[in-house]
Amino acid sequence: MYFIKHSILNYWNPYIALLLAGILSALYFAFTGAVWAVTGEFTRLGGEFLGLFGADISGWAYFDMIRMDGTTLTRPGGWMIWGMFAGALIMVLLSNNFKIRVPRQKRRYVQGLFGGIIAGFGARLALGCNLAAFFTGVPQFSLHSWIFIVATGAGSYIGAKIVQTRWWKGKPALAKGGGKSTVKATRTIQPFVGGVIAVLYLSLIVLFFAQGQILLGFGALFGALFGILIERGQICFTSAFRDLWIMGRSIMAKAIIAGMAVSSVLTIAVIASYGMLPITQIAAPSTFIGGALFGLGIVMASSCETGMMYRLMEGQILYFTVFAGNIAGATFLAFAWDHLGVYDLFVASGAELNLVPAFGPVGAVLATLLILLALYIIVKLRGDNYHAVLNVKKGGKRYAGTDAS
Amino acid sequence: MQEQMQADFTLDLRGESCPYPVIYTLDTLEGLEGGKLLKIITDCPASFRNVPEETVKRGYQLADFPIKNGQDILFYVYT
Repeated sequence: MYFIKHSILNYWNPYIALLLAGILSALYFAFTGAVWAVTGEFTRLGGEFLGLFGADISGWAYFDMIRMDGTTLTRPGGWMIWGMFAGALIMVLLSNNFKIRVPRQKRRYVQGLFGGIIAGFGARLALGCNLAAFFTGVPQFSLHSWIFIVATGAGSYIGAKIVQTRWWKGKPALAKGGGKSTVKATRTIQPFVGGVIAVLYLSLIVLFFAQGQILLGFGALFGALFGILIERGQICFTSAFRDLWIMGRSIMAKAIIAGMAVSSVLTIAVIASYGMLPITQIAAPSTFIGGALFGLGIVMASSCETGMMYRLMEGQILYFTVFAGNIAGATFLAFAWDHLGVYDLFVASGAELNLVPAFGPVGAVLATLLILLALYIIVKLRGDNYHAVLNVKKGGKRYAGTDAS
Repeated sequence: MQEQMQADFTLDLRGESCPYPVIYTLDTLEGLEGGKLLKIITDCPASFRNVPEETVKRGYQLADFPIKNGQDILFYVYT
């Protein structure tokens, strides 16, 4: 698009942001043996929240599995989250883009809360979200992430149908005339505040390393870097699926696939050279059910667990309800895991399957790249196909509908 | 200068989050008769990119480059 070059929109190309994210997540794995992930920590936050009210969660199997050691400020996974918030906030402020944004349609709060609950529940049922069961799960060659991706595609398709209905989307206020002139004075306080926060946060990272808290330091550092990337690239896994279904918009999906391809190649090099074991999660019926719920929930909430983070930092207060929903949903899953028999029903029959032991390192990366290529072609065809339909219909009445198949 | 452009209709989408700005824009353009000038105001950062790209992709013409106004963006589109 010609006007993107006249860049008053100084966001980064999604391809660049996602390629960098792919490289950084492989590096984070090499340095720490862990992957970029967020919802596991959301569940721990929910557990800590319950603890505030005197609930005893020591017997809950799910919290034993994801390990509740320390608090969110003494866990690398905790600093990954706070780092992402900090990195995103710093970039929002530096670009003078913070603003309290209040949705006019009050129904969005309800939609965000329920979508957030469903997405949080689904993500933890599948043992990951768009990161550990997707963007950083595929490069770990864990089979469960492929099941999750297919299921998320299906769930988000249903979600896309729902959000386009009249009762869900609501009507905008269309006014006659040009409205009042609303030229705003340019304020420069935001970049200054952003700079101060950046310096303080950097000092914290240095402090962690100086104290020998290497894992906390890496968590805080990489968290901030990921926060910068998701905000600057406006990385949105929800839109990657939803916009493909609604309007044939494919750039985010293609950029995510490219990022995963680069990350897969680097990760296999790390695994082979350091003799590390890839991180594998159980592939079971729960993976598909969880992925489908996740796909549905993120479209209902207009955001996944990652996109929510930078949108909240932009001042979009709708995402408080999404954040609360995510934590509530994840915590409810932790309860349902053993108390309501979810594990026995949907998870126990599964197994940890990984492509590396099955096909060897070279076979695993080649198989992954091949499937990613196939996925890229499908996404591209979906985008092109949509526009072909549009062009036919555009001859008469200008058409901006959504029912192309 | 661009502020003086006289629009026939104004769609104020500030506060709405992605994807509703782009859905609302396309719905509105579809419902209006041709030859008018529609002004769109939005503050959702994702819409800074997907609103102009999706309208142009569907054959509508922007009357000017998007205009940044504080944390908002203004678009002028011919219906």
